[in-house]
Amino acid sequence: MTIYAQAQPAPAIRKRKFPMIRTVLALFAFAVVLCGFIVFDPMSKIGQTDTATAPEVASALPEVTRAQTDIGSLQDAVALAGADAPASSAAQIAAATTLGGDAGQRILAASGGVQTRTGPTVLTDDSSISETTAAVLAGLGLNTGATAPTDDSLMTQTAGVLAGIRGVTGAPQTAAAPQSALQTLVIEALREGQSDSYIDEIVNAAATEGRLSVPEILVTSDGRVDTHVLLASIVSQAQIANGGAAPVVPEVPTGGSDGVEVRVVQRATETQQYTFYTVNAGDSLGSIAVKFYGSVEHYQTIFEANRSILSSPDLIRSGQRLVIPKLDA
Amino acid sequence: MQRILAGLLLILSSAVSAQDVRITPNMAAATYTINGETFTISREQDQDSLLTGEFARTSRACPPFCVHPMSVAPGVETVAELEVINFLTGQVAAGRGLLIDSRVPEWFAKGAIPGAVNVPFSTLDEGNPYRIEILKALGARDTASGLDFSDVFTLMLYCNGPWCDQSPRAIHSLLDAGYPAERIKYYRGGMQDWLMLGLTVTNPGGG
Repeated sequence: MTIYAQAQPAPAIRKRKFPMIRTVLALFAFAVVLCGFIVFDPMSKIGQTDTATAPEVASALPEVTRAQTDIGSLQDAVALAGADAPASSAAQIAAATTLGGDAGQRILAASGGVQTRTGPTVLTDDSSISETTAAVLAGLGLNTGATAPTDDSLMTQTAGVLAGIRGVTGAPQTAAAPQSALQTLVIEALREGQSDSYIDEIVNAAATEGRLSVPEILVTSDGRVDTHVLLASIVSQAQIANGGAAPVVPEVPTGGSDGVEVRVVQRATETQQYTFYTVNAGDSLGSIAVKFYGSVEHYQTIFEANRSILSSPDLIRSGQRLVIPKLDA
Repeated sequence: MQRILAGLLLILSSAVSAQDVRITPNMAAATYTINGETFTISREQDQDSLLTGEFARTSRACPPFCVHPMSVAPGVETVAELEVINFLTGQVAAGRGLLIDSRVPEWFAKGAIPGAVNVPFSTLDEGNPYRIEILKALGARDTASGLDFSDVFTLMLYCNGPWCDQSPRAIHSLLDAGYPAERIKYYRGGMQDWLMLGLTVTNPGGG
């Protein structure tokens, strides 16, 4: 069409009231097509999801409905827009296509998305937060007694043996169980009465330099160490050790503004309620467990329910949409 | 001699409490203090008392519950109940010895010899990366040429009895780590013989 418009007027046409009409019409049509391309950009920018991609995603993931995908993609887009520039093309693909949280993460995972984390990489170990908590408390001279970690690991047993031997020999208990670098750092800081933010700073500095490793569930979606959860766990364990009440399951607001979403699914015989949570920047699996269950100890419940998108408890990312199962009463 | 007489007088005078079931003719009970906590060992006075529960069983499967020889390893002395009591009132009370229960914590919690320390056999195994901390707590010292065991506690180990392999395993682990054999003793009778004689256990009725 444009070629025709740019060609010289055909000689067969003679009398014309508006001699430029064809050129004007052609230019107008060109402008319309151009606008069409801008509005319905097939190379895809944010905003295209609703018309084309979402239904495909919904059919590929039977548990994700159209409406949920929209919410997920919106939050995904917001989270990505708020984050630093994506570190790899895989992240850019995820950002550009604005798929739902789940699908976007699947693309990330499929394309080697492990390296796409924008924050510093934190070393993790297989210690549990309860072990860490008990060790820190023991280091501070507080015996958690019956509420000591339930993990039947050799480290826990050894700590119990050492406490027993020292209880009989009268040796000082302060040189408690073998401590990890994280425990030593936190114990020292707490002894000095340092603030939470100071502890957060030194732990993250040490983690960035690779000087310590942390339990997996303390790694946040932006690759930092969630010292808030660790400190909260220490405080609550100390309270329990001193005869305080165990933490109760909190009432979680379900307004949807902070990523919490409750959906009721009706089947032929029963009505089931599902809670979803979209990971925000700075969340760790531990903090999410505290948010919904009041205790980090239940992180495993969340992890098991989301095995399909979480390969490891330390690999959560902003925008991931996690199922939060109900705890067995 | 004077002490014994005084002790006898004391026992007789303190309400000739008619202990018909004594540990020995000269000893109705043994009292000792470990790190500020006082324990007393005596025997069950009900002469109709019988073993019940786990320790009334005669025929556990072997393996793993096999009959163990009297001697666990060269140089490791095997002892019986009176030596256990003397060890508690002597070396343990003086801070030179430790009576060690080699069983898992659940069994220890159900009932143990008063004053014993629970050191599960698995924590003394080579596979425990933190074992060195336990050895140090037992008195071993770090030196350039390895651990120095010259100043360690004398240990007496027991578990569930002649059919239990946990204290023998713990003893072999200790020997492999370099613990001197003359500082290890083995109470082969364990909880089985201890309970069969009606001797005092912690947490009575719990097992």
